[in-house]
Amino acid sequence: MNVAKRKLVLLLPILLSLVTLVSACGSSNTNTGNTADPTAEVQKATQAPTKEGKTIGGLQLPIVSDKLELSLWSPSGGNFRGTNFNEKLSFKQMEENTNIHIDFQHSTEASAEAFSLLMSSGKLPDIIYNDLWGTDSGKYGTQGALLPLEDLIEKNAPNFKKILVDNPDIRGQITSPEGHIFYLPNLVLDSQDLTQMFPQVRKDWIDKLGLNMPETTEDWYNMLKAFREQDANGNGKKDEIPLVTVNLENIMMLFAPAFGVDYGFFVDNGQVKYGPNDPKFKDVVTYLHRLYDEQLLDPNYLVDTTFQTLTEKVTTDVAGAWFGWSGSYMGNFTTLMEGKHPTFKIAPAIPPKGPNGDQRHVSFRWQAAAHGLAVSSRTEHPEEVMKWLDYQYSEEGILLNNFGVEGKSYDLVNGEPIYKKEVTHPTNGLTNTQELLNHTIGGGSWATVADTRYAEQIREANGQTENPLELYSDYIDFDSKLPPVQFTTEENDVVVPLMADIQTYVAETINAMIMGRQKIEDYDKVMKQLEKMGINDVLKEYQVAHERFKGK
Amino acid sequence: MLLPTVLYFLIFEYKPMYGAIIAFKNFNPYLGITDSPWVGFKNFEKFFESYYFLRLLKNTFLMSFYSLIFIFPASLAFALLLNELRLKKLKSFLQTVSYLPHFISLIVICGMIIDFTKPGGIINSLLLGIGLISEPIQFLILPEWFRTIYVGSGMWQSLGWNSIIYLAALSGINPSLYEAAVVDGAGRWKQLTNITLPGILPTVLILLILNVGTLLNVGWDKIILLYNPGTYVTADVISTFVYRRGVMEANYSFSAAVGLFNSVINFTLLVLANRISRKTTESSLW
Repeated sequence: MNVAKRKLVLLLPILLSLVTLVSACGSSNTNTGNTADPTAEVQKATQAPTKEGKTIGGLQLPIVSDKLELSLWSPSGGNFRGTNFNEKLSFKQMEENTNIHIDFQHSTEASAEAFSLLMSSGKLPDIIYNDLWGTDSGKYGTQGALLPLEDLIEKNAPNFKKILVDNPDIRGQITSPEGHIFYLPNLVLDSQDLTQMFPQVRKDWIDKLGLNMPETTEDWYNMLKAFREQDANGNGKKDEIPLVTVNLENIMMLFAPAFGVDYGFFVDNGQVKYGPNDPKFKDVVTYLHRLYDEQLLDPNYLVDTTFQTLTEKVTTDVAGAWFGWSGSYMGNFTTLMEGKHPTFKIAPAIPPKGPNGDQRHVSFRWQAAAHGLAVSSRTEHPEEVMKWLDYQYSEEGILLNNFGVEGKSYDLVNGEPIYKKEVTHPTNGLTNTQELLNHTIGGGSWATVADTRYAEQIREANGQTENPLELYSDYIDFDSKLPPVQFTTEENDVVVPLMADIQTYVAETINAMIMGRQKIEDYDKVMKQLEKMGINDVLKEYQVAHERFKGK
Repeated sequence: MLLPTVLYFLIFEYKPMYGAIIAFKNFNPYLGITDSPWVGFKNFEKFFESYYFLRLLKNTFLMSFYSLIFIFPASLAFALLLNELRLKKLKSFLQTVSYLPHFISLIVICGMIIDFTKPGGIINSLLLGIGLISEPIQFLILPEWFRTIYVGSGMWQSLGWNSIIYLAALSGINPSLYEAAVVDGAGRWKQLTNITLPGILPTVLILLILNVGTLLNVGWDKIILLYNPGTYVTADVISTFVYRRGVMEANYSFSAAVGLFNSVINFTLLVLANRISRKTTESSLW
């Protein structure tokens, strides 16, 4: 990472906190210049609240003078502690600040099914949480279940609007093909926080065998081979499984970009392509077949598909490398092996460079996530709902969602929110992430802005001084990853049935070739078959959707 | 006294059938069943046109057919063998043991199957031990093994439970028939073929007809828990296809169409089986 970028990264939190200070101190006069006209209009339009009022980035608080109750559906998931989100201190404080009480309706069943049931029941709450609004919102919006939000944002959401103006890419990421915004997303505004999964290898094995961190696909092959043949774990048995995974997709994310393709759709010079339909994909399959054939790739990868089996392999000291998340993989494994293994150390590896010099990191998210909050068409208080949502994006709301209540879970030190020791080093038997969820919803999983200082402090508390994710920002190519394009109903009718069969075919064929049950020499036949199954019709729709997206 | 039964069927069995018309509609929950637009047979056509339609049909049929021809007679044979046992204690012990798998949750069953069939699992160790194979077999990623594992584990799961109804039928046979047979000099085999089997034949036939009527309803949950892209070739059936296409994508009209198709075939088979049974023997459902 170059110096200029690093400086910028350091500067950002300071800037953010300055803004926070300004908006927190100012009582009525906080038009910081960016939101001049529309804000003034909003202020005129809303009645003067009876309580002591203040404005946050143009949003007037409290939102209503008489307490209002809104309903919000959300699967409980991992962010659920206590019986109700209202037990989180941040939401209690939020209620006090906005004068809006949220009646949280939580599902207890698996969220995808519970969500489908809710949406097909027709009885909807005011606000709905979903993980997949990125692709679902257009569909449910067109069906009439969700409220189009453009006008409401224009009139009632000064904070969110400001973010849209400052980050022009976001609007396209959340707009449906018909031109509507149907949900407000989780946002990440710092590029270093966009990286998701990345390759991780056993650094202590590498050191022990006198290897270097792998840089090319050949390095990877040699390293995995050495792991297997030179008794990397030193127990005298050839029990090492050099490369482990819970699915083929992760392995593909690791190696396919090195050969200039992706396992799914990607963009090549503005042209949408489908990896398995590209001649280069043969090289990926050949490479993976070599790994599988020499038992460098876990022979059980099709059956052992749970994180549990993978954890078992890592913690019994037989796994050498994998592709995973920073916290739930690297952090978890390190903590689990603490005190049980003298040298256990995992290091992030850079994305491998292929024979033709291709090198790219593909596992990253867009600024606007697919998860967020949508407003149901059944709500009787669209304006208040929008204002409450906008509050999540105000400086005050961002702090509440990421850090909790000042003085309870964090202190402002020189304008910087710093977690209290009870949060980063809890003594109540919870992990620090869990303890934090007693106070807040966690900025990364809610319709708000995920604050980079949150991850930073937790990481440092866990003993990781460097941010492994920084390593990848140089390898991220925004132009070659397919953005979250959305389809119209007609396009969907073409793409969905064709892709269902194509995906089945590809999964079957590629796995069979990797396992050596089908000849790789015949890859032309696979491409011909894909053509027969209509891949070109699918690509046509993708191209149209992509161009529409770019045009936004 | 008939009224509650009639009401039950009207409310819980017949009224929901009305919902089946979404198979002919482009169902939108916000318009409701009646107001959603008609699309005719489009959903059925989409299914028939699918690249994998024939394979799905073949897999579904084979999987059910194998289950029927292996598990059905095995349960009968097991019941007959139990019936011949004289040691009461051994008999009830065997019965209890064979029931047990029926009460284990399917998730656990599948976990056990995965463990048993692993390269280091009990089945591979056994086969290696008796020298049938020289290298462990990766049962769950080889398509040629999937049906065997599915049917084999199905037999283990349901053998004991299915035999209960035969044991009940067996206990209904008049003991004096056996006494008379013994007096006439019939051995155990003669008793079996001349008294026991004819005695329970109506039960067997009725059960057979009922089984044929659900021939295409393979246990999709077990398949979903056990299959993977490596075994799609033999493991993918209509219901798993519907799960992937319909439920995961909330495409209710499409799944309703496929479900309806499945029921029509089942119904046809049921009628056929019943007719054949009525023509050849005297027992039939109606």
